[in-house]
Amino acid sequence: MDDLSSLHKIQISGPTLASLLHRFSSAPADFDGLLFGRISHLTPSPLSDDPSPSDDHPTLIATVTSFFSSPSPTTFHSPSLHHLISSSPDPLIGWFSGRRKTPLRPSMRESSLTLSLSSDPTFNLTNCLFILLTTPFQDQLIHTHEYKAFQFRSSTGLFEPKTLDVVNLGPAFRGHYGSFTPNSRFPDLPFEVKGLGSESMVEDEGKVESDKFGLVCDEGFNVGRLKSLMGSEAAGYTAELEELYGNMIKKMNGLARVVEQSSARLLEQEKHNMKLRCKVAGIE
Amino acid sequence: MAVDSIPPIILTQLNYLLTHSPYSIKVEQMWSGSKNHAYLDRFTLLIPFCLDYIKWDVIYNAQFPLLPPDVIFGPEDETFRPFPAGREGEIKAKNSLSDWNCKDPTRLLLLIHELRSLYMAYQKKRVGEVDDERLKFEINTMYSREGIEMYMSSGVDKPEEVKFAVPLLEMDLNKMVAGSTWRHQQKIYLQVIYPVSRKYLAMASAPRLKLISSPELKALFSIDEFRLPSWLEGMCMAEYLPTLEEMLESQIRDAVSSIEVRRKFITALAIPFGRPLEADPVFCRKATFLACSGVFTFLVHFTLPLQFPRQQPAVVLQSSQHFHSHSGNAPIKSAILQDYPWSPRWDVSQMAERISDYLVDECLNFKKHCNEVLVQQR
Repeated sequence: MDDLSSLHKIQISGPTLASLLHRFSSAPADFDGLLFGRISHLTPSPLSDDPSPSDDHPTLIATVTSFFSSPSPTTFHSPSLHHLISSSPDPLIGWFSGRRKTPLRPSMRESSLTLSLSSDPTFNLTNCLFILLTTPFQDQLIHTHEYKAFQFRSSTGLFEPKTLDVVNLGPAFRGHYGSFTPNSRFPDLPFEVKGLGSESMVEDEGKVESDKFGLVCDEGFNVGRLKSLMGSEAAGYTAELEELYGNMIKKMNGLARVVEQSSARLLEQEKHNMKLRCKVAGIE
Repeated sequence: MAVDSIPPIILTQLNYLLTHSPYSIKVEQMWSGSKNHAYLDRFTLLIPFCLDYIKWDVIYNAQFPLLPPDVIFGPEDETFRPFPAGREGEIKAKNSLSDWNCKDPTRLLLLIHELRSLYMAYQKKRVGEVDDERLKFEINTMYSREGIEMYMSSGVDKPEEVKFAVPLLEMDLNKMVAGSTWRHQQKIYLQVIYPVSRKYLAMASAPRLKLISSPELKALFSIDEFRLPSWLEGMCMAEYLPTLEEMLESQIRDAVSSIEVRRKFITALAIPFGRPLEADPVFCRKATFLACSGVFTFLVHFTLPLQFPRQQPAVVLQSSQHFHSHSGNAPIKSAILQDYPWSPRWDVSQMAERISDYLVDECLNFKKHCNEVLVQQR
């Protein structure tokens, strides 16, 4: 990426920004995270015949498509940081920091972190994005959040404020339809699904696991057999298929319950961790 | 500010900073950054710098008390990067944030001090980059002086200026006054403000000059009454400072020796009045004696000006027998008495005698006044 290139603006889809703000408002304290997305060249298309000297530089636009955050300002201490970045569908384009009731300008830690992030060759981030989220000092204000987006120029070492363009539904944004798949990544936990043994999931891109999963779910019911639904044997097969569906729904219900229970346990663990941290700090 | 809602780890570090710093650092405000506002974990520090204050926000995280604090500098100091991150593979220099130990109460003090000295170097660099011939010359000639702080003031709606705080006089003022109780080192500074002109002018205007001292020094020496020597055309700081320091030094020596003159006067007062009830032993600016006329007993308060004996002391009488019935039973006092016989040329024993003689009659007037007040109160 050319370091001399200055971003024209930063785009973010409404749902992604809303999700980011929600994470911020529900976090118990300050937090930070990574921003994923892409940087695209937008060649200006002069519609008029006016031969005015339009600049030859294509407009650079950064698009934030997703983010990852851990519920604490410790994202960069995460041991799986590199795995997280390499497994993302979109490349890393920057990071964000959320801190309540603070001035809307980069702090000492944020400047140092951005500088080291942009100078690290493994990330290829010569123009690192940085989004800062804060809340106003007074509680009684109508707006509850403030945010500002910056482009960090490693050539000058300065943060340049950029407009954050929120892409929403509506006629003005018709061109953007389809260009966004808002998603927020599931926190990268070293998890194991019982009966699946996912340790090899990463290496073979999950093909073996996917086959295994199919076997568990459809109980050997081959898709090819679906054609038996037509014709004389249909009645028997319908009953068989309905039973299969019934079993699948039961399994789904069971799975949902397990997920719910594990979330509750996770929450409990998080509360316990917080208590431990408070104990260390001498506040009960 | 409720002390119990500050997490103890933060409180001990903050208290250590406020009590142990050689500069008088203040906390402007303190607030909470957690969702339920339970703990105060962020505050604004006012740090003395270049005869002014810089405001830095120190951001702790009550939920993660083991993490070091973050600092947000002023809006003008966007380019101040105290701890530049080293490139991959480089050995990073240690600073006060490395190996942060939250249980060590001295850590915040060390951090703020390191940041302040880095900030000093940063401002010095900024001032050095200003393209002004005269400024460059002044900096080069003043270079040998130690402890100069400088500050580059620039903003959207402010004129560009460079401020210097030049510490004057190498002598230790604390040691000059015997038995002084000053906790901080007393110092006098010359504040010099240069407007940045960016082009060479043959007739550069005089810089704005102001003498500033540490506030407690006024018990000994009044900076407001010192007349700065005039700034001649085409002068530079290196020429101006020696004259100024010479004048200042002789006046301070006078101020110190005048303590002895005041002490002698107080001692002389003890002959007609007896031992003082209370007297300021360090600067000898105040003394109180007990006196009586018949059965009427009263206190005599003396307040000695810095210009003593050129200026006479202020005398106030206070009855020990008459009290205001309202306003909290305060004892009745006289107005400041100044029409007593006085000449700076008398020797101290004569001064004391004349005041004593004057008070023999004046105390009867005061007694009458006290009785009148009591009658009015009935």
